[in-house]
Amino acid sequence: MSNPIYPELQSVDRIADAFERDGYICSSRIATVVFLAAAMNKPILVEGPPGVGKTELAKTCAAVVNKPLVRLQCYEGLDEAKALYEWKYGKQLLYTQVLREQLGEVLGDSQGLRESMQKLHQFSDVFYSESFLEPRPLLRAMEYAEGSVLLIDEIDKADFEFESLLLEVLSDFQVSIPEIGTIEATSKPLVFLTSNDTRDLSDALKRRCLHLHIPYPTLELEARIIAARVPDLQRGLSEQLVGFVHALRELDLKKVPAISETIDWARALMLLNAQALDERLIHDTLNVLLKYEEDVSATEGQLHQLLRQVTFA
Amino acid sequence: MKDPGSQSLLPFIRFLRSRDLPVSPADTLDALEVANLLGFSDRTQLRQGLGATLAKSASEEQIFADCFDTFFSCRSDLSNPTHEDPPTQAANTITEPLVELAKRQPEIAGLMSQPLLQALRMNDQNTLSLAIEEAALEVDLQHIKLFTQRGQYVRKILDALGESALRQAALELAENEPEAAAALNQYREELRLQVRERVERAYVIHASGDTENFMDEALSHMRLGSIDPHHYQRLRRLMARMVRKLAKRHGRRKRRTKRGQLNLSATLRRAVATDGIPFHPQWRQVNRRRPQILAICDVSGSVATYAKFLLMFIYAMQDLLPRTRSFAFSAQIGEVSDLLETLPIEKAIDQINRCYGGATDYAQALTEFCDSNLHEINSATTVVILGDARNNNGVFRWDLLSEIKARAQQLIWLNPEAKRAWGTGDSEMLRVIKHCHVATECNNLKQLERIVDKLLADSRRS
Repeated sequence: MSNPIYPELQSVDRIADAFERDGYICSSRIATVVFLAAAMNKPILVEGPPGVGKTELAKTCAAVVNKPLVRLQCYEGLDEAKALYEWKYGKQLLYTQVLREQLGEVLGDSQGLRESMQKLHQFSDVFYSESFLEPRPLLRAMEYAEGSVLLIDEIDKADFEFESLLLEVLSDFQVSIPEIGTIEATSKPLVFLTSNDTRDLSDALKRRCLHLHIPYPTLELEARIIAARVPDLQRGLSEQLVGFVHALRELDLKKVPAISETIDWARALMLLNAQALDERLIHDTLNVLLKYEEDVSATEGQLHQLLRQVTFA
Repeated sequence: MKDPGSQSLLPFIRFLRSRDLPVSPADTLDALEVANLLGFSDRTQLRQGLGATLAKSASEEQIFADCFDTFFSCRSDLSNPTHEDPPTQAANTITEPLVELAKRQPEIAGLMSQPLLQALRMNDQNTLSLAIEEAALEVDLQHIKLFTQRGQYVRKILDALGESALRQAALELAENEPEAAAALNQYREELRLQVRERVERAYVIHASGDTENFMDEALSHMRLGSIDPHHYQRLRRLMARMVRKLAKRHGRRKRRTKRGQLNLSATLRRAVATDGIPFHPQWRQVNRRRPQILAICDVSGSVATYAKFLLMFIYAMQDLLPRTRSFAFSAQIGEVSDLLETLPIEKAIDQINRCYGGATDYAQALTEFCDSNLHEINSATTVVILGDARNNNGVFRWDLLSEIKARAQQLIWLNPEAKRAWGTGDSEMLRVIKHCHVATECNNLKQLERIVDKLLADSRRS
């Protein structure tokens, strides 16, 4: 039933444990979806606000199954030549130069144009063969014989046309190259697509994927994440810190702090050797959490109240 | 695949569809595979797994979770019957007249030994719900469609359970043994309640979605003018759904400027700086026309409702039709774009009605409109006029209408009256048809949707 290439992903519980050992605390939902993805050979479309660990999920997964991670960062204008494959034009040019000298020998004593052409036709199309093919991330991920983890990051940034290009890769795990034919994956990679929801993805793409929405974590889960990522932080402080971040998320901010900001802040506080949260400390380090000046100034006025809320809770 | 999993999953998927969650056959297959992989033992895990295949966005996930809880909570009563109600003393006391009677009359004794009455007497919920469930299957309860069918199905299930024997006995006993009959009737009532509850649940799961769809369908074909205000909430929801659909259909047009033909002369000109080598190819920019819609709405009494809905629709598509301007008139005409953009739509419409309502005079309205706006109409403009073309027998400025038609890309006249009323009485509609590119009836939501769809398609093609 389970996928023989990725024995580490055999059951939901094992996945949760393995991920936790690698410092990624995942909710049961995430573990279930990863398990299904491996068992059903389906890509996972991970959605959610920035900084909740979408990319990290793929990285951790690669580490857990101990396979290479192939990453494709999407951006506007990304096309076939950068995502799938390209011909090695330089090499082709070089070879024509070299082969020109061989041409006389090959043609030998053939008479006239027609006979020469016929002789040349007997050779296969060497310039458009796999040795001149430059694999780009998508093709590269297919070529690993032992399996791999393919991360297609921020798919919503890519053009609509690129999505259509992905369909073949994601559903059949194969790439069609007109000059050569179809190249199939020797063993199917685990595919993660991430999206920040800046635009709606096409239904065709969604249909081929398992959908996983990662929201901001609960208080308890985030505390566990901090404990796993910044283990040296004092327990009391880490509770206060998570509580404070949660209170911040309730405010009306331009960019609410995500998990990655919480982790950064926890590290910052550890470096500063802080023992407990106080107004001054928060004031000095708030820029780690909030990335917009207007957010910072809007929050500073309420620091006292927020802090009281956290320390009394 | 004929395992118990698929048996209970397929109705669930039908339920999801009735709740507007688009589940394709391929999704169904995936869901079955998920259920196979995860098994039915861990409820949360199954929900998360099914959610990953059946719900495709965060909002759909919410719907999915609600549906899952509704659907499978009903089912769980069946598989884990409650053991909270052990046979009570009270249950036994009402039996006594019956027991007494059974000692004397053999046929009552036979009745008492029936499993159904036994279960009722012992308050044996396991047996009862199992029997009800079997009877429900027998009468095809899952095919319940309408609210009004509930009574019918209750009766059918009771019959399948063999309740008619009890009824018969109760009737016979009523004369001579009123106490025993009362006791029997109490059991019957209990059974009835349980069956009724079961049918209610079936209705919620299998049919309430259909009823909703039925209402929606009916509403979108009903004349907007004759819809009761208490349906407005639903109407607004329907409209929002149409807007979403249209936005999806027309939304995805990406800019294609930077591509196209090579502009040779410009390229050579720029190449001068690099000694004739064309480092910076120049492209012929695709000259994009900016489509515009001018909506002119009659807001006199008879047409005001339709104007309201048209404007609501057009302004809901604001993202796709960014340069829309709207005008309202009865006799005097005025631009109301600002009002519509700044105020919430309901308020704006009220205010428009106050300012511009009155008796219709097309001549004055068209004259005033052309005086201030005719020069703005060009081949990228679509002019939409909503009105019943009833001019109170006044003069009509046909020359102005022709002028607009000549200048605009399209002149569309929408008339809320039914086609057979066109040209009757003071209606000028038959002549109007000749002066427009398109003249069409527009009085319900479906027609409105079709028109806005066309507007979008035309304006975005150019």
